[in-house]
Amino acid sequence: MTIAKPLWSNGKREKECEVVRIRKSLSIFSSLLAASLVLTALPAQAADQGITSSEIVFGMQLPQTGPASPGYNKVDDAIRAYFDYVNSKGGVNGRDLRLVAEDDTYSPGVTISTLSKLINEDKVFGMIGNVGTQTHLAVIDRINRDAIPDLFTLSGYSNFYNNPKKYPTTFGGLGTYVAESKIVGEYVKKTFPGKKVGILYQTDDFGRNCLAGFNAVGLTFEKGKTAANFIAGTQGSIGLASQLTQLKANGVEVVLFAAVASAFALAVSTANAIGYKPANWVVTSVGADATTFQTILGARGVPAATSAALLNGVITASFAPAPTDAADPYVTAFKKINDEFNKGPDKRWDNNILIGMNSAYLLVQALNGAGQNVTRKNLISYLETNGKKMSGAAFAPLGYSKSSHEGYVGYWIGKYDTQTNITPVDGKRVVYTTDSAKGAVKVLSEKTFKRASVPADTIAKGVK
Amino acid sequence: MFKLKSYGRRNLYKSIFFALFFIWLSFSVEAYNQGQVAVTLMLFIAVASIVLLTGLSGQISLGQGALMAIGGYGSALLIVNQNFPIWAALIGSIAIAFVSGLILGIISARLSGPYLAGTTLVIALAVPTIANRFESVLAGNIGFMVDFKSPPAWVTQIFGELGYEHWQLIATLPFATLTFFFISNILKSRTGRSWKALRDNETAAALLGVKIGNTKVFVFAISSAFAGLAGALYGLRGIVGPSVYAVSLSLSLLTAAILGGVRSIFGALLGTVIIVFLPDWIHDVVKDLELSEQISNFLPAFFAGALLVLTVVLNPGGIASNLHHHKKKTGQ
Repeated sequence: MTIAKPLWSNGKREKECEVVRIRKSLSIFSSLLAASLVLTALPAQAADQGITSSEIVFGMQLPQTGPASPGYNKVDDAIRAYFDYVNSKGGVNGRDLRLVAEDDTYSPGVTISTLSKLINEDKVFGMIGNVGTQTHLAVIDRINRDAIPDLFTLSGYSNFYNNPKKYPTTFGGLGTYVAESKIVGEYVKKTFPGKKVGILYQTDDFGRNCLAGFNAVGLTFEKGKTAANFIAGTQGSIGLASQLTQLKANGVEVVLFAAVASAFALAVSTANAIGYKPANWVVTSVGADATTFQTILGARGVPAATSAALLNGVITASFAPAPTDAADPYVTAFKKINDEFNKGPDKRWDNNILIGMNSAYLLVQALNGAGQNVTRKNLISYLETNGKKMSGAAFAPLGYSKSSHEGYVGYWIGKYDTQTNITPVDGKRVVYTTDSAKGAVKVLSEKTFKRASVPADTIAKGVK
Repeated sequence: MFKLKSYGRRNLYKSIFFALFFIWLSFSVEAYNQGQVAVTLMLFIAVASIVLLTGLSGQISLGQGALMAIGGYGSALLIVNQNFPIWAALIGSIAIAFVSGLILGIISARLSGPYLAGTTLVIALAVPTIANRFESVLAGNIGFMVDFKSPPAWVTQIFGELGYEHWQLIATLPFATLTFFFISNILKSRTGRSWKALRDNETAAALLGVKIGNTKVFVFAISSAFAGLAGALYGLRGIVGPSVYAVSLSLSLLTAAILGGVRSIFGALLGTVIIVFLPDWIHDVVKDLELSEQISNFLPAFFAGALLVLTVVLNPGGIASNLHHHKKKTGQ
């Protein structure tokens, strides 16, 4: 592109007009600048936003629609149900809790936009229960820079929680994938010593964290043989037949599965279709919800009895009671609140609702503990100081401290039966604990942590 | 003051007005809207690249998002691996995108119409796969966490303390203004006229001495450069990754170009504003209807598609064509 020489001859007059025009634009420009400087003289913000004498507002980002949404899109309804229950009992220190949930369709570009809305329009006090690792990566810097509490994040990606200097306001609401995989890996090594173990995982940090956990306890795999993977989120469009055929061809008898629930449903039904029946499926807790499994297969025309049979014998880990454990007092209490207060389109009780309500339960406990004059800062201090003593539905403690914001540090191993209940393997529940680094896997003793009994009104006061 | 053709001077004043308007706008709206205006400016650069490619030279691209991705990844790699400051990485991304556009243009130079469209679509679809195939370099599915960081001291001295969204807007504005200026000039220049000849009648253009093959490739490369710049800015919002530059982005850009008017720069701006603000406008209208998420979250896409169909059928020139009635007579 060239700027050609003009052909005019009346150079001087043109020049004068030009000068006048330039002076005019400069003066307009500078007056606008001056005006803008006045506008920017805003007062410094003293109090936290999102909290008044009558209300505290929390925000949440999750996939409400899209391929990753089945199951996870019930978590916001569960949290809101518990909030409504607590509000019906007078709120927290006289303040009602309100949840604003935004759909990010598991797409990080959208997460960035909706975060801007939550911070600037809804003016949230904090975030609770954010779902998704990829999507949270896109916004975690901004959230921490603005000192917004980012509580009980529902991702097990350990890099969010193992560096509180970098991410001071982010706290985990699940265990980490590395820790869980270490515990599951140890169990698999002990229980299936002679069998060939393979892995099918999604290639994002979630899947890779699980792989790292298995590697840490000595379970290794060969790429292209005993290790198959797929790009996260694409399982629906590409199907998993080639990955499963690869595992079948290499004689894998125990399949470790590290991906989301919708992918697990697809994998099991595809394996069935190609005649691949491994001796054992072992699936990460995040991918193991039975209701999601049956719903997805139901949408593909598989009747409930068949999908329940497919789930029979699947091994998984959990830090919480099985949602079908009718004898568990937390399950009973949360279920009652869910029946009465859940206004979502699908309120069927399952693990997603259990975990959602547990996060809300913990949040209220922390707010109660921080007291009437709760601020963003003292809420975070409370969690760092008292996190290990806090109790919810889980059988293991939270790993919060000044040096780690890791969530649950313990898991028990369970197996699905023919009625989609998860019961502890070997009959008795044993909780194992480990870290997200090279520490060994140990049994969690009751001296270290014993789950507190659920309060009569299912609202926990703060621990002291 | 160097001498410009009359249209050059006019475009210069228009560009200055463009910049001042958006500076004023940035101080007049809330932080969330500032973020939206920032995104509008970023995508405006990409839609303007479509105006160049499709409106001016008649080549169809369904994969402008992939060219944005090239710019985005280019700038992210420079920032993360080579520790470039942001402004340097943005300029680097223009260069990287230009060269990539040159290569892609040479590869697809013989294609036209639906074949070129299909090829560009395939490139757009390939972005996640390429990112995962070369995971060690391109960080796979997760991508690179990059952002605009905080404004430098001299900016704060001029504009005062800026919120993050406001800073995004101010940082993007110079690039959007330069895009506005360059593309407005190209549209009116002799070079632009030769590209229009390419669009209107290839044979006649060839007879007039326009080198068809070279011109097509060159336009593709320039368009890619602008798209790459847009992609780099878009990535700086927080993350550069395959899901940020999904196929849906390419289609949204094309929709914006057509809705606004694919032959004018003002049309590009209009179309981008519609695409960016439509979800919230729809939300404001339906929020009291208590629709289920499964419906309400899909309404923006539905309406964008409906508007696109209506535009193509009833008003193919887009909204901007209706604002320039007198130009129609002189065959714009």
